[in-house]
Amino acid sequence: MNAVSHAGRWLLNRRDFLRYGGTGLSGIALTALLSESGLLSAENDRLPIRPKVFPENPLAARLPHFAPRAKRVLVIFCSGACSHLDTWDYKPELIKHHGQPLPGSEKLITFQGENGGLTKSPFDFKPRGQSGKFISELLPNLADLADDLCFVHSMTARSNTHGPAENQMSTGFTLDGFPSMGAWVSYAMGTENQDLPAFVAIPDPRGVPQAGPNNWGSGFLPAVFQGTAFNADKPIPHLVRPKELTSLADRSSRDFLKLLNDAHLQQHPGDTELSARIASYELAAKMQLRAVEVGDFSGESASTRRLYGLDDANKLKAGFARNCLLARRLLERGVRFVQLFNGAYAMGEGVGNWDGHKTLKSQYDIHGPILDQPAAALIKDMKARGLLADTLVVWTTEFGRMPTFQKGASGRDHNPKGFTVWLTGAGVKRAFSYGATDEFGYQAVENVATIYDLHATILHLLGLDHERLSFYHNGIERRLTDVHGHVLTEILV
Amino acid sequence: MCFQFQLWVLSSLILRASLTPFAAENQKAPSPIPVEPKADTSTSKLSHWAFRPLEKPAVRAVKAKSWIRNPIDTFILAWLERESLSPSPEADRITLIRRLSFDLLGLPPAPGEADRFVQDPGAQAYELLIERLLASPQYGERWARHWLDGVRFAETHGFEMNQPRPNAWPYRDYVIRAFNEDKPYDRFIFEQLAGDASGADEATGFLVGGPWDQVKSPDINLTQQQRMDELHDIVNTASATFLGLTVGCARCHDHKFDPISQTDYYAMQAVFAGVQHGERTLRTPDSDERTMKADLLRRIVENLDDQLAHFAPLANPALSQTNVARTPNPRENTEAFTPVEARFVRFTIHETLNHAEPCLDELEIFGAGHNSRNVALGAKASASGTLPNFEIHKLEHLNDGKVGNDHSWISNEAGRGWVQIELPEKQLINRIVWSRDRRDIYKDRVPAVYTIEVAATPNLWQAVAGRPPLRPPVHAKQNVDRFPPVKARAIRFAILESSSDEPCLDELEVYTAGDSPRSVARQSSGAKVFVSGNLQTSDAHPAEHLIDGQFGAEHSWISNERGRGWVQVEFPDAVVINKVVWSRDREGKLKDRVPTRYQIEVATDTVQAGEQSLSPDPERNPKSQISNFKFEISNQDQRRLAAQTETREQNSIESDRRTWKLVSSSNDREPFQPNAKPKVAYSPAGLMQSETAHLSELLAAKKRHEDEVKALMAFPAVYAGKFEPPGPTHRLNRGEPMQKQEIVAPGALRSIGPQLGLGSDLPEQHRRVSLARWMIDPKNPLTARVMVNRIWQHHFGKGLVDTPSDFGLNGSRPSHPELLDWLAGEFVASGWSVKAIHRLILSSSTYRQSSRSNPHSMAVDASDRLLWRYPPRRLEAEALRDSILCVSGNLDLKMGGPGFDLFDPNNNYVRVYNPKKQFGPPEWRRMVYQFKPRMRLDDVFGAFDCPDAGQITPKRTSSTTPLQALNLLNSPFVVQQAGFFAARLQHDAASDAPAQVRRAFRLAFSRGPTASEEEAGVRLIREEGLIPFCRALFNANEFIYVF
Repeated sequence: MNAVSHAGRWLLNRRDFLRYGGTGLSGIALTALLSESGLLSAENDRLPIRPKVFPENPLAARLPHFAPRAKRVLVIFCSGACSHLDTWDYKPELIKHHGQPLPGSEKLITFQGENGGLTKSPFDFKPRGQSGKFISELLPNLADLADDLCFVHSMTARSNTHGPAENQMSTGFTLDGFPSMGAWVSYAMGTENQDLPAFVAIPDPRGVPQAGPNNWGSGFLPAVFQGTAFNADKPIPHLVRPKELTSLADRSSRDFLKLLNDAHLQQHPGDTELSARIASYELAAKMQLRAVEVGDFSGESASTRRLYGLDDANKLKAGFARNCLLARRLLERGVRFVQLFNGAYAMGEGVGNWDGHKTLKSQYDIHGPILDQPAAALIKDMKARGLLADTLVVWTTEFGRMPTFQKGASGRDHNPKGFTVWLTGAGVKRAFSYGATDEFGYQAVENVATIYDLHATILHLLGLDHERLSFYHNGIERRLTDVHGHVLTEILV
Repeated sequence: MCFQFQLWVLSSLILRASLTPFAAENQKAPSPIPVEPKADTSTSKLSHWAFRPLEKPAVRAVKAKSWIRNPIDTFILAWLERESLSPSPEADRITLIRRLSFDLLGLPPAPGEADRFVQDPGAQAYELLIERLLASPQYGERWARHWLDGVRFAETHGFEMNQPRPNAWPYRDYVIRAFNEDKPYDRFIFEQLAGDASGADEATGFLVGGPWDQVKSPDINLTQQQRMDELHDIVNTASATFLGLTVGCARCHDHKFDPISQTDYYAMQAVFAGVQHGERTLRTPDSDERTMKADLLRRIVENLDDQLAHFAPLANPALSQTNVARTPNPRENTEAFTPVEARFVRFTIHETLNHAEPCLDELEIFGAGHNSRNVALGAKASASGTLPNFEIHKLEHLNDGKVGNDHSWISNEAGRGWVQIELPEKQLINRIVWSRDRRDIYKDRVPAVYTIEVAATPNLWQAVAGRPPLRPPVHAKQNVDRFPPVKARAIRFAILESSSDEPCLDELEVYTAGDSPRSVARQSSGAKVFVSGNLQTSDAHPAEHLIDGQFGAEHSWISNERGRGWVQVEFPDAVVINKVVWSRDREGKLKDRVPTRYQIEVATDTVQAGEQSLSPDPERNPKSQISNFKFEISNQDQRRLAAQTETREQNSIESDRRTWKLVSSSNDREPFQPNAKPKVAYSPAGLMQSETAHLSELLAAKKRHEDEVKALMAFPAVYAGKFEPPGPTHRLNRGEPMQKQEIVAPGALRSIGPQLGLGSDLPEQHRRVSLARWMIDPKNPLTARVMVNRIWQHHFGKGLVDTPSDFGLNGSRPSHPELLDWLAGEFVASGWSVKAIHRLILSSSTYRQSSRSNPHSMAVDASDRLLWRYPPRRLEAEALRDSILCVSGNLDLKMGGPGFDLFDPNNNYVRVYNPKKQFGPPEWRRMVYQFKPRMRLDDVFGAFDCPDAGQITPKRTSSTTPLQALNLLNSPFVVQQAGFFAARLQHDAASDAPAQVRRAFRLAFSRGPTASEEEAGVRLIREEGLIPFCRALFNANEFIYVF
């Protein structure tokens, strides 16, 4: 770790300190202010670090706390709770004990009620790649990447209901209204590309996930850090000039605005927020060009189109493929945090997402192909372009599913006691599996990991100390990981 | 504090002295509640500035005395002078009126108002302006929005389903009213915690204003967790809002910084343990009056019901209860009857076993005679309606010879429907077989109450079988037995069973058929009465009472036998009758001795009296209705009747050898219910035309009165919580719902403020009342400090304490502690008047300073914490939207009521929020009236740091982003309003571009343009029209910042 923290370095630059909202007060006011910012004792490396955000450019790139492994993050979020037992977590004992009761849980009541016997996956597992990792036939293209993936099989969640569990996966808290991981990261690091949002959430072509915008909200952080939600089919709202105005009228209108604002600024010298707002209009103009460009796939080669399945006859798959390609193009252009959703809730339980309660086989036969080829293509493409070297990819879902089928149904109920996520790209081991669930995949038993741990690890790879990155909100030093979390050091390279 | 409220508090203090937390004990020694000596109550923590009692601070000496307008300025100036800073000069009047107008109303001043203020030479012009603005109804709307942020108010539940709370808005309106009326703050707090105890029902919307997870599960762990989260939200919000403390931090362990133990947290949780999310009926000031009026109308309706009862459905004595009570068979039912000529067969279903849409898989009709076959097969079928979209449930399945659920018909109405078969030709039939599922798998949807009718020619229906609906049960007050007209010489009423003792009748009325019915069973008209016997213990109940035309117990007859007896009335001449009305006590007082099983028979002149020709409606031939049923009478009844006949003979009635015809009985009535209200049933069957008209009049009158009752009793429902008796509250180890520790009694914080000791078994409402009183006790060191700080914050953009809902050890220290205490003292002294604090602040020199920056002061205090200038601010989302509408001329100032929705309608069970793209007048109200969803921000203004109501937002952030710029430049809303602004300019200044520019600047900025602004504006208008010009003004920094 550097001897002087980022915040400390900033403190040393006294001229900036005076200019940007610091106060040159003597006595108690100064002391209060400094202690409030956690800056008095830069030598104490346990104090909270609150990134200094300048109103002129709140998204200016900021240095992390220590040398990072990753510069940006892609999260692929399978909404609805994708079953670990039918994808990544191979359980031969489940096949052997198919139809028998889950030992020690005769009267187990889970989210939707009673459960039947243990049920093997309707999808066959086979060894993949050189590592021989067993992965199910549901996701053959992703399975082919087994040697690149780092699995965490011992994940646990705090809630067994979608809304709160999605909240936890995206914000660290089961309750509504806390800042999302992407918001924390843009707050901590800003972005290197000012012409595009720092944090983009890409909703599924079918709609938004269960917890909706809380997955990419800014909570009590300034709104500038919230995720901008758009996808390949629905661009950023209000991005384009209104049809009522000609391009010349638009231009003249903005020139006149500039004239008004410049004259006004002269009347109010020293008010940096006014110049920040003028600058935001210039950024908006650049974003209008850049965001249109990023969504324009005409320059992509035929082989890329094929790789992702852009022209697939399955409309939903082709839609998700376009979103995957959009994700790559955003990351390529320096967007700090991209959250790519697979699955939405508008159509009801399990229809548009991974919530396989009733007929898991037929539901997953629909969802598997939508996810598989496009997501695998995205990772292959990122790898080929060298993006994986400094981009962290995290595949996740809100919780796992039961090793039993529900009583009277052919699907699995919610299970927060054990599930799988995987990571790839910057800073994580390849062909590695961490932690394990029990022999039936019911609960995590080895190296039990929490969502806090996953968040701590993601921040760590970005060079951020999850125990110090904080925002002072109403008397509390808020953190993404609340008062929990340990970096999963074993999965790091 | 207003006098009435004082009085109320005082009287309730006396009434509930035992519950009084400290008012009664404040002269005595400290509370006997033992306070555990804990580390967190160490003196260092308790000596924290915010926990110390309010004291009147000393006023410091200052040099620039001429600047001082009131003590606020002295406190501010003292700190400025200490840092060698000077206050800024007073702002110009345009700036001041804009500042005050945005600050108090959230709207720009109208051009005329601004000009008047600028030109007003009066010394009091500024103070008068403050008064005018504080009196404006828009003031309450502006300041309610601040309050609603702090209490996480929203109108949907949050979490994944996020469904609407359509009746949450009354709380929003309550807050607006409270600010407008300057409701004393102590009362405001009290009502939000316990308004149900003081006639302010909607105020407790505060308690349940937070998120509520609608996803419910049989998993007890999840259920407990959800409940704990609900209560956490209430404890957290109440303590942060009123006390400025993060009590929520003590959920899992003692508070890390403040003297709040985990037990304190659960004591507060116990206060709210009976509060449940949900709606409650809202009482209004005229509730009592309306209830009384409705009661009166209900009595009129009862009277109408008594009249309606005269049109009771025709008696059907052939029908037996046992027959009706027999559970219909889902598999197969055979209905046999005397052969009848039929071309049409109709099966009418009045009710099914489970009130689901009825189902028939097959309806077979058999001809009379040997080798009869199913003649329905393939005949023409019709039905009232068929459940849509099911291949397996179609009308043609009814008579296709295929059985089972997969080949069935289902009606499209719950519990009702009819099917009809038209045979190719008229023929004799004597049997119908029907089933719901001949395969015996499905047992629901079985017709339970039904009528089978046949007709030889269209519409001449006659009932041949069925289980028709039963008539209402016998009632003590009045019973009507209506039957087809019959010529009678005498009538007898045989009682077979009574509800208790010897049966009693106060009157037996018999009415003639026809347009003007007469009561003929009257002594006065020559009728004679004979009875089985009179009660022997008393001569107060003779037979004559039965026909004396007088009602009530004192004019009644009582039989001499328990549970039986008979009455016979002889008419002087034969009369055609169709109705008997009888009662045990027509005055409705006594309910015992009611005849519950009975038969009514009529002695006709001849064996075949001319019933048929007398029937007013030949289609409803009485003979056909009953002739095909077998009159069922049990052996026991036969014995009883035989015994009674004996008695009758002893009474030597001459005409006993006459033919007696059964016209009515209790057999087709629902079973008697001793304490049930009278059940009203009526039917137009068998009525004369004039009677039908009368029935219609009665029904119309009844509906009118019932509608009126409904309107009177339509007290609005409000999402203000339901209150249930609380169970025990346990401390939870590490806050884990399944790790219950000791029981914790309701209470407040033990280390801060006055003491409050309450019993574990304290009733629900008393808990909240007690906590509210503890909070509003003037000795509570936090309550007043916290609120004056909030008021300060919204005037200056930042509180004296910068953590408005955390005054604890980890919160910010006040920049001006003495000023905070002085304001808090003034607040309490003013009777907790929020407007009094506004006046103090707004009239200070501090507030009236210019916002102009200067390099010297910037170098010393760039964040303006010492207030050397008035700090400029960006408008919040709501004020910005309201201002755009105001300047475009479209703002609708309609107050209150349900809000407008900025999202498209949607009924998905996980609600989908698609922003509206087109806006009309309903969306042009102030944004405080937006139907505010949780976690879903408005498409345009949400980006301006609008809170999402997931958590409390005591202080908004204020960020500047390119997306805000895009929204204000390109959104349909802003472009549309720019169009209206343009039309307004066109109207106000015709086509004179310079005049348009000047008018636009006055409307948007309250000033005229500079020469270069005017020139550029005119050029833009001439080249590109007004809309691009108006759009630029809405985007200008001058429009969106307050100076």
